[in-house]
Amino acid sequence: MLEIRQLSRSFREGARVHTVLQEASAQIAGGEIVAIMGRSGSGKSTLLNLISGIDRADGGTVHIDGREVTSLAEPARTLFRRAHIGFVYQFFNLIPTLDVAENVRLVLELNGVHGAPARARSLAVLEAVGLGARAHSAVEELSGGEQQRVAIARALVHRPRLLLADEPTGNLDDETAREVLPALLSLVREHGATLVIVTHDEQLAASAGRVLELREGRLHERRAPHPAAAR
Amino acid sequence: MRALRAASLRHLLRHPAQLALALVGLALGVGTIVAVDIATASARRAFELSLQAVNGAATHQIVGGPRGIDEQLYARLRSAPHPPGEPRAQLAPVVAGYVTVGERVMQLLGVDPPASAELDGAAASAAPAFALHGAEEAREWLTEPGTVVMSASSARELGIAADGRFELAVGGVRHPARLIARLEDAGAGFDALLLTDIAQAQEWLGTVGRLSRIDVRVPAGAAGTALLARLAAQLPADLALHATRAEARETFAMTDAFTTNLKAMSLLALLVGTLLIYGAVSFAVLQRRSIIAVLRALGATRGEVLAMLLSEAAVLGIAGAVCGVLLGLAIGRGLVGLVAQTINDLYFVVAVSEVSVPASVLVKALCAGLATALVAALLPALEVAGSSPQLGLARSVLERRALQVARRLVIVSVLLALGALLTIAGSSRSLLAGFVALFMLLLSVAALTPAALRALAGAAAAIAARFSPVARLACADIAASLSRTGVAIAALGMALTAMIGVAIMVESFRESLREWLIQSLRADVYVSAPGVAESLERRLDPQVIRALLQVPGVRAHSEGRRVTVTSSAGALDLNAVHLAAESYAGYRFTQGEAAHAWPQFARGAILISEPLAWRLSLAPGGRLTLITASGPRAFTVAGVYREYGNDRGEVLMDLEAYRQWWHDEGIAALGIYLAPGIPAAQAVRELRSAARGRQALLIRSNADIRALSMRIFERTFVITRVLYWLAAGVAAVGLVSALLAWELERARELALLRTLGLTRAAIALLVVGQTAFMGVAAFLAAIPAGLCTALVLTDVINRRAFGWQIGLHLAPAQFGNALWLAFAAALAAGAYPAWRSARAPLASGLREE
Repeated sequence: MLEIRQLSRSFREGARVHTVLQEASAQIAGGEIVAIMGRSGSGKSTLLNLISGIDRADGGTVHIDGREVTSLAEPARTLFRRAHIGFVYQFFNLIPTLDVAENVRLVLELNGVHGAPARARSLAVLEAVGLGARAHSAVEELSGGEQQRVAIARALVHRPRLLLADEPTGNLDDETAREVLPALLSLVREHGATLVIVTHDEQLAASAGRVLELREGRLHERRAPHPAAAR
Repeated sequence: MRALRAASLRHLLRHPAQLALALVGLALGVGTIVAVDIATASARRAFELSLQAVNGAATHQIVGGPRGIDEQLYARLRSAPHPPGEPRAQLAPVVAGYVTVGERVMQLLGVDPPASAELDGAAASAAPAFALHGAEEAREWLTEPGTVVMSASSARELGIAADGRFELAVGGVRHPARLIARLEDAGAGFDALLLTDIAQAQEWLGTVGRLSRIDVRVPAGAAGTALLARLAAQLPADLALHATRAEARETFAMTDAFTTNLKAMSLLALLVGTLLIYGAVSFAVLQRRSIIAVLRALGATRGEVLAMLLSEAAVLGIAGAVCGVLLGLAIGRGLVGLVAQTINDLYFVVAVSEVSVPASVLVKALCAGLATALVAALLPALEVAGSSPQLGLARSVLERRALQVARRLVIVSVLLALGALLTIAGSSRSLLAGFVALFMLLLSVAALTPAALRALAGAAAAIAARFSPVARLACADIAASLSRTGVAIAALGMALTAMIGVAIMVESFRESLREWLIQSLRADVYVSAPGVAESLERRLDPQVIRALLQVPGVRAHSEGRRVTVTSSAGALDLNAVHLAAESYAGYRFTQGEAAHAWPQFARGAILISEPLAWRLSLAPGGRLTLITASGPRAFTVAGVYREYGNDRGEVLMDLEAYRQWWHDEGIAALGIYLAPGIPAAQAVRELRSAARGRQALLIRSNADIRALSMRIFERTFVITRVLYWLAAGVAAVGLVSALLAWELERARELALLRTLGLTRAAIALLVVGQTAFMGVAAFLAAIPAGLCTALVLTDVINRRAFGWQIGLHLAPAQFGNALWLAFAAALAAGAYPAWRSARAPLASGLREE
């Protein structure tokens, strides 16, 4: 489903060139749940940005469902991203000027689903994360855990093939993280999406079917897929 | 996209102060343009209506020199043989002049009712005299002396009694008059008009047997052209046949330079407004950078983000334009009076009683508001929509970018300044090019200000570091906040530059005028007949002149006659003078030499004033053709002299030569030189008593005339001041808006400083100190730029608009208003955040992120 081939990316800081990814490669099958671990600054977020087409690679390719994302031009990459990829961030990144339901519906509207169908689908996914009753609340009124659940609903409402999560529990306490994580995993499984989680959290990584480690710009297999964790 | 639109709209509504200040900036900019357009359109409309009332249905006019037309000519033209079957030109005689009723100057129009009726034909309602409804009124009009007709509204304003009796004055001589009919619903064109019989007008104006003009009406097309040709062939050489529309155009064109200046000032306000909208939109975009990045990450395309931001700007633009139109209507009503006053002081008599709001003005304002907002929003919107949608873009990255932009703007600034220089050098006469250069210069200042602010703040930080880390922090913060404050400071810098430039220009003009008045007003006492400057009826009674010159202490005198003559270049003001020996020194030659020019002048050559020399591209040795009573005659220009009294320029001619060529013996003014030891005040009293009972004259001392001239000068610049304060107001609002937003954004940082031990007072001082520093930085940047602007205004704009050369005069007071504005705006911007930061509970301040 997701194929990363010899992906490279470096940044220039004044006269110095800082290489973050150096011919990183990996293959992830459809429906797999993969955790990517690594030290701070090892390039995990950069990798997610390259996979989603937010950033452009210096070299290498990313294929999603056989389609080469890295060769797409703007706005084709954007259109591809909004149709096939979902995002969950550490700091939730909800739009403060929209209420809970509107935040979720926004992605549907970007994908051309409007009106009653959009409202029904966003409400359904909010109910799935246990926030049906808070659909019209302002996002600032929600707790951190609730905000992250809205972010998960937003990431999955348009049924993307691939969900990218960047430290999804990094801004939550342990107890809240323990509530949010099952919601994320069950929805991903229900939608049959592929999940790539960037995390420092060993506990979170343990719930993934497979763990890759980003070290010295390359992806290393840390734990092979476990049949039970895959689905 | 509903959600996207909702997010955008709610962001604006969540920042009402920011939104309101941006709207105020735009509304002031658009409002100033609307106000100037309304004021000039109203003056133009009033002028057109009065012309319509005066000219009726006439298509052409036969006009003569200062003495007008012999009325026998009219009789000859009417009885001239005419080919049978062909249409005949309709003719109507007119005697026109100015009279004073109470304090009000009105145009007196002597008409021949039957002839006017014939000329007006089907459009009889336009013929003024036909308000005479009954036979009794018609009888009174023809048989009773002193009967007049005027509009009912004018009669009400003048408080004319029920019996209609009142007094009018012509050149200081009072005459009894009686109002026999009031024109109801006459329209604004009749507001300054007094109608009487032609013979009565001739008697009052002292032009018995003469006509001011003959109105002509010919059919359109070939028949009309043939009639005009035949008519022209019958005219003596000193008369000319003009189309009334061309005459009107030429008259109103006198005000072109004045109205162009007003429009440029209003554009300046809009330009400042554009920068402020740019600042407001940039700031709104910066505030939402992370949200926009989320939208991009979720799949919103660049186009969709761009459309969202531009739609916001369009909403802002339309709202601002609507507010601007409403504001402009209010300001415009006030401005109409100032514009009319200036036109009356400088050009011609016009009574503006109605405010005219053409639809085109409103459409233009709405388009200007919308376009301004869109143009201002385009750059930040393109920048943010085009950038990579990575989250958490560090503030330092934004500031680094802002710094890069500021550095690039220095190059832009240099290029704009060079462009301004080249534009001036490449265009010797174009006023438009002058204004383009001026705006390039102002934009150059705006482009330079952010870098100048950073450099100053950096230098201040280095110095402050020796004394206090907090002071260093305050200065360094300014240097590192260009993305937030750069545009507002640029707008303020530009407005301050314009303020300083205009202040220096006005002061330089004032000083030049003062020097010129001291030099040119040589006589001790001046005597003149009251009335409109170039009107023929402004004439001193010869017996009164004799009486005046016999007053003890009168040592010598000059005589003058000021009239309008026709020339190859249109109507010109001619000042015919017989100078006392001392008066020659009153003329300062800018071209030609006095030693050669005066002897030539005595032999019949002419001198011309600087504005006329500029307008007609004439120099000593050149020739100017004037239409004399004996037909066209080319006069040699002997010299060009400095003159600030008349922006259309004038011709100076020896009084004897004038009398020889125009057969006009009248004298309109005297300059009296007193014997040593005679005080001017005493002489004025004695001269007044010599004229008492014969003619009401204006008898004023040299000092009084100077004071009056300076008062008129100040009055003509009131409107300029109003406009530059509006532009400055826009800039001040922008600065308050930007600094307020910046300071509020730093609430957490300020709370942190308090936890580190800074007292509330120190925090307040720090905030106010920072905003004051920015105001002063903008002011310092504006000083050299203001001097350059003043040079362009005096040496390029004034020269090209009016032909005047003005020496630059500098005084500290010229910088006072700009300094005051910079400080006031900066302190206003700092006061609320200072109060808020000092009072905010620490815990909530720290949580705000």
